[in-house]
Amino acid sequence: MFRILKKSLKTGVVTGRHPEVAQPGESVTSEAHEKAKPFRQSLTIREVDTGSCNACEMEMNALTNPVYDVERFGIHIAASPRHADALVVTGPVTVNMERALKDVHKQTPDPKLVIALGDCAINCGVFKGSYAVTGPVDRHIPVDVRIPGCPPRPSEILQALEKLREEEKGF
Amino acid sequence: MPGVGEGVKQLQAAYGNSITEMPSIHGMPRLKIKIDDVPVIAHYLHTHPNLRGALSLLWAVDHRPREAGYELCYLFTLAAHKDWLLLCTDLPGDTRLFRSITPHIHAAKWYEREIRDMFGLIPVGHPDMRRLVRHEHWPKGAHPLKKDFPWDRVLERTQGEYVFRQIEGEGVFEVPVGPIHAGIIEPGHFRFSVAGEPIMQLEVHHFWKHRGVEKLFEREKLTEAVPVAERVSGDTTVGHSLAYCQAVETLMQMNVPRRARYLRSLFLELERLHNHLGDVGAICNDTAYTLAHAHCSRMKEQLMQLNDRLTGSRFLRGTMTIGGVSKDVSAIQRGEVVDLVDRIEQDFSELESIIFANASLTDRLEATGVLTERTAWDHGVVGVVGRASGLDQDVRRDHPFAAYDELPVKVVRYRYGDVRARMRVRMDEIHESIRLIREIGHKIPQGPIVAATHHMPQPSEWALSAVEGWRGEILYVVMAGENGQIHRCKVRDPSFVNWPAIQWAVVGNIVPDFPLINKSFNLSYAGNDL
Repeated sequence: MFRILKKSLKTGVVTGRHPEVAQPGESVTSEAHEKAKPFRQSLTIREVDTGSCNACEMEMNALTNPVYDVERFGIHIAASPRHADALVVTGPVTVNMERALKDVHKQTPDPKLVIALGDCAINCGVFKGSYAVTGPVDRHIPVDVRIPGCPPRPSEILQALEKLREEEKGF
Repeated sequence: MPGVGEGVKQLQAAYGNSITEMPSIHGMPRLKIKIDDVPVIAHYLHTHPNLRGALSLLWAVDHRPREAGYELCYLFTLAAHKDWLLLCTDLPGDTRLFRSITPHIHAAKWYEREIRDMFGLIPVGHPDMRRLVRHEHWPKGAHPLKKDFPWDRVLERTQGEYVFRQIEGEGVFEVPVGPIHAGIIEPGHFRFSVAGEPIMQLEVHHFWKHRGVEKLFEREKLTEAVPVAERVSGDTTVGHSLAYCQAVETLMQMNVPRRARYLRSLFLELERLHNHLGDVGAICNDTAYTLAHAHCSRMKEQLMQLNDRLTGSRFLRGTMTIGGVSKDVSAIQRGEVVDLVDRIEQDFSELESIIFANASLTDRLEATGVLTERTAWDHGVVGVVGRASGLDQDVRRDHPFAAYDELPVKVVRYRYGDVRARMRVRMDEIHESIRLIREIGHKIPQGPIVAATHHMPQPSEWALSAVEGWRGEILYVVMAGENGQIHRCKVRDPSFVNWPAIQWAVVGNIVPDFPLINKSFNLSYAGNDL
């Protein structure tokens, strides 16, 4: 017990110790911003991988580490699409995952947001045109927010999510 | 035990009539075998106490348009000295049948099903003829790696259902899981047959993420396919791109400068370090010990931020290039790296003593998900998982690449094959990687970081390369085509051989322990599905 406390004291608070985003990403469209209105206080995300190289998954996982600690903003990761407000989709949609993606989208209760994370989800990236790829994501389900990058850094994902949920100016 | 030379002689003495010796490829002996004798000779090679050849890779090539016909290549690793021996056989003209070696060699199971799906060649006598890569909704006759299959063909959907192996009996239930899982992980389907809590059988149904990577390679020029290799499995960016670069360099007869080889080792060890740290944390997390997970992911994050500062990519993307590396590391940066890994070693050692003092954690890890040495060897298991089951193998020592000929690696090995052993291997390798990074910091020479060449390989020349990625042995076979195009690129992520083994490791364990066992293997779905 003493060892654990000592370790925690020695480590201190690491939350927020990450470099700032160098270039601010494309701003979130006003429609998406409007659509995200019910989720300003709390947003529950279900992540769906439809054929990514798993780098985007690692960065999504990094969001929950003590440095980014996404929960402090009221953003949670859900284990089921039935609990989710937003789907985060990564990867070009593969032939084999197409049905699963549509199923998940149907299972997610309305109103819902769809966030395409990473270049592959937005334009299929290096996998574009392959016989095994039917993407991008917006060919199959409507996409509200696009976060580019290969993969986007956690700070960039965080920034996009913050933008999505910020109060309109003048309020 | 005899070396590979004697092994070849022994094979020729036993089966001289059906073997023709071919010119060796980059020092690797190659034997051409009559197609019907492959199973007998493979069996002899696999079981003879002098040879004990383990199947490392099995791949097919469609030689069209240069010549009509297919070729099958069986790469064996002999137990003594880990030498490679290659058996090749031709399927001339319209021949589509070949005899399966799976009844003798478990490790060939998925390879042969993969060849059937991708080339339409049929392994006669294979005990499991279900589809593997092609899911049932793919149309009949769609074999993507045949040369007459266009890379961008749109597949229509047909009806069909995958039939799982079933166990019947009173109180036996099936538990389907996936393809979409509860955590932030990749898609795959697991089908458990359980009687009460204990698992009687697990069947892994994968390839949901199949993106056609090998076909995409065939569209690229030899010198331009590194970005594809980097995206085979994102967490192993350096491992895959390095393996690809090495194969192409062998083809183009390039000598990578010494400094570049050191930098390659540095990047590979940095990748190993952050992934192993993440895994140790994730294993603890799956026993609900979140404290260790928080500390490990904090350290992992520090390393990924370091990667970003060094190269502009948290995954070290864009560092490998044909002939060397594209990012140099200055003396100041090197100091920063050594300084950080020193701090992490101290930090991690403290955490280790906290982890090992936790009895309930040890109780969850010990004797859970045991993979015996025999099963591991039978399935040709590689990497961390193999070393935790007592297999003494590490490409960095057995076939030194990058700077490992000058940086001897201590191979970590545990015998018990349980979750704890797999965690211990990772923990010890973290210390070993830190030691290597320090040594690289001392020894790295000055000089250029990239070599040039004008040599172009002849069509149908090919090369093999092996890299010990953080999961294990990554193999690439690259064959040149016309005008510097890639004719064939066979990618083998360690996950492809380790996935079948997990089906044996879980038997007898309870379902709630499956996530823990799965995490201790931590295999890539993307690298497996390609």
